[in-house]
Amino acid sequence: MAANPMHQFQVYRLGPEIKLGNVDLSFTNASLFMFISALTICIFLYFGSKQKGIIPGRLQLIAELFYNFIAKMISDTAGSKAKPYFPFIFTLFMFVLLCNMIGMLPYSFTVTSHIIVTLVMALFIFIAVTIVGFIKHGLKYLSIFVPKGVPVVLLPLITIIEIISYLSRPVSLSVRLFANMMAGHTMLKVFGSFVISLGLLGGWLPLSFSVALTGLEILVAFLQAYVFAILTCIYLNDALNLHH
Amino acid sequence: MDDNNFKTRLRIAKREILKKDANENNKRGLFLGSAFRLGTELVAAVAVGTIIGFILDNWFDTKPWFIITFFFIGVIAGILNVVRVANNMQKEDK
Repeated sequence: MAANPMHQFQVYRLGPEIKLGNVDLSFTNASLFMFISALTICIFLYFGSKQKGIIPGRLQLIAELFYNFIAKMISDTAGSKAKPYFPFIFTLFMFVLLCNMIGMLPYSFTVTSHIIVTLVMALFIFIAVTIVGFIKHGLKYLSIFVPKGVPVVLLPLITIIEIISYLSRPVSLSVRLFANMMAGHTMLKVFGSFVISLGLLGGWLPLSFSVALTGLEILVAFLQAYVFAILTCIYLNDALNLHH
Repeated sequence: MDDNNFKTRLRIAKREILKKDANENNKRGLFLGSAFRLGTELVAAVAVGTIIGFILDNWFDTKPWFIITFFFIGVIAGILNVVRVANNMQKEDK
């Protein structure tokens, strides 16, 4: 059991089985860790914004840092029109970040290493951005599939290519996060089991790799949350400021 | 004691911080982000193209033809995606 590097991704039920028709709604370890992440964010931001000091305390400083980071990212990539979407992107970033980071703790479960979780988030973004685009521009939004200055002969082919490229957004968004998290955690586990199997004599090299990889994984955990959020901003920018 | 002197120094320091900020920190983060984008962008478009071809084949019973065509269209779309991201990176570099 301990030697299998994929064992850490197993989803199992906690508590009783809950069924609604054909849908299994049981509380699993994945739901538990999503709940922990959301709760951590709420507690952290509650205490971070409680004091409202002119000279911020530690928690307030970190909370303000995150706020500024996301606010700057949105204004840089999507402009001032995207301001109303700040709460959504902030929530998204914090949730993905906390899921990734809590997954780095020993004995925990990485929610974002399951493609169904990331795919649902990516599809939600994709559908929401498409709806926003149609609300803001009406049927003119379809013009993102027809780039300017293309000869009429090539137009059908280009349109199909643009549609495929548009549809590939949720796939690339979800696969990137899922693959990075799963590959990293599998690699950590594999190197960890090398330490055990090589013993006291040869185990030091994989152990040092493990330490280095843990640092790299923390970087990747942050970076993937950042990429997820910034791509949401870029897609939002395409929908809000129609220009091609 | 020297209030004016202090204010000038503060202003210079602030400007230095701003300059550094714009030059290094953001850019490096953005580039790392873009680097992570490139690979999956290519694969995702190919996958989506192939899946669309597969579905169309099942609809019209033309087994290999749509899947082959849409695989190549997917490859083109993927390359286009990568070129776009790379172009954006170059624009930000300037």
